[in-house]
Amino acid sequence: MLGQPLVGACLAGALLNPGPQWELWALRIPLGVGVLLQLLLTDPSLPAAQRPRDVATAGVIGTSVALVCMERLTPVVSVSTGGMLWVLVGTIAGLIASMAGGWLETPLRARNQVAAARADELAREGRLRAFEALYWGGVFRIFLRGATWSAAGTVAGIAAASLILPQIASIITGPRTGLVFAVLLGTAFASGFHTHVRAPRHGPRWAAMGALAVILVLLHMGGPTP
Amino acid sequence: MIGTQPAGIPGSGPALRGRDLAKVTSRSLYLQALFSAQRQQGLGFAFALIPVIRRLYSGAEEQGKALTRHLGFFGTHPVLAGYVLGVVARLEERRARGITIEETQIEDVKRALASPLAAFGDPLFWVTLRPLAGLVGILGMGILPLANPWGPDLRVLVCPLLALLTYNAVALRFRIAGVPRGYALADDPGKLLHSLKLATLTRVLERSSAFGFGVLVVLTLSVLARSADPASQGLAHIAFVLAPFVLGFLAAAFGLKRWPGRGVEIALAAALVALALSTRV
Repeated sequence: MLGQPLVGACLAGALLNPGPQWELWALRIPLGVGVLLQLLLTDPSLPAAQRPRDVATAGVIGTSVALVCMERLTPVVSVSTGGMLWVLVGTIAGLIASMAGGWLETPLRARNQVAAARADELAREGRLRAFEALYWGGVFRIFLRGATWSAAGTVAGIAAASLILPQIASIITGPRTGLVFAVLLGTAFASGFHTHVRAPRHGPRWAAMGALAVILVLLHMGGPTP
Repeated sequence: MIGTQPAGIPGSGPALRGRDLAKVTSRSLYLQALFSAQRQQGLGFAFALIPVIRRLYSGAEEQGKALTRHLGFFGTHPVLAGYVLGVVARLEERRARGITIEETQIEDVKRALASPLAAFGDPLFWVTLRPLAGLVGILGMGILPLANPWGPDLRVLVCPLLALLTYNAVALRFRIAGVPRGYALADDPGKLLHSLKLATLTRVLERSSAFGFGVLVVLTLSVLARSADPASQGLAHIAFVLAPFVLGFLAAAFGLKRWPGRGVEIALAAALVALALSTRV
């Protein structure tokens, strides 16, 4: 569960906080990136039917790219919509990182196949300690791959953003950022609908009950309703 | 009871302790570290069982034989694997104490338990609980108030914590109880499976998930509508501002129906199309 985009994004954001100068957005950008990626990267199909995606590192890379770019590129690409642009940049970086990270899974599985043959030999020889060492090596490799990819993906994402964003700075305006953000938010909610409402039986009925319950609460509190 | 005790040979020999089962439980957390297409969690299963093998068998040859028995194909849901490990630990214990249990019997029991646990576990944990836990974290962002609008936003710590707590409140219970319960109910795998009530839990969580999504949609639309019309210009203005959100939703809903599992590509394409269209307007 630590590998969920929301968790990774928020933890990376809390660790990478660029300081008081950016306080207003530094902790809200990770939340925004985490929420969008959580909705977009949750696949309701069974694991065997899913496309290979590295969901675990997507949130970390997305948030890191967003925060570092905000700190470095704000003077070049400055819009009136505050952190929304950087949430967009982080989400797109996270989506691309999840695809690329998925491709990196394949060599790891191939390596596990080699380890399995070695494990057979060790078991036949009764060398339990060596077998355990081989297995802990596998655990370490997973961790190392995730850590390396998180760092490499972040560097690649920052480099790409530093190259692309100044080139298209003239077309990045507040209203355009808002428009793209709204479309991406709609896409994320469609993905969430697909996962939480369309997949389970009686989903629409229970979703309607949830919506009705909140409308009643908002009406009771005197707040605005959609 | 699985395994028959030969007449005149009392079952005597090493017995498993609670500490051994606890070690198996902790090792089962790494079940998928050497996951491969051919054996799936086979190596992880053998790795988790090593404390049992060490306790029951002495000598490298005996231990090696026992380890080799469990290196074959094994595939179930990782959270529920503890139940199979517990049952197999009990059978290995009986075998070590001289009760006749064939290798094929242990293999049959493993497969008979692993398949239904995978069939119930995947929809429960991967398809329902994990998305629900993420949704609870997201809802935390919508519901929790900001302590100080200009200061540090503590939701960045609370929201992931909510997600982690929601998932582990269910999953950790199965992880911790799995090995001891499998060990205790090794003679009646049917009763073991039935006692988990996995189908009922899936149904309850599915409905909670849909309910939570309904809550999230209204909360989000409420905030969007408020921020879209700060000067109270009316419903037409709100509809105009919310149009890109609705279009993005409809396009992605159609896309996901047509190409399930392509959410990432659809989202990237939608963002690109929106940017391209906005530069032409």
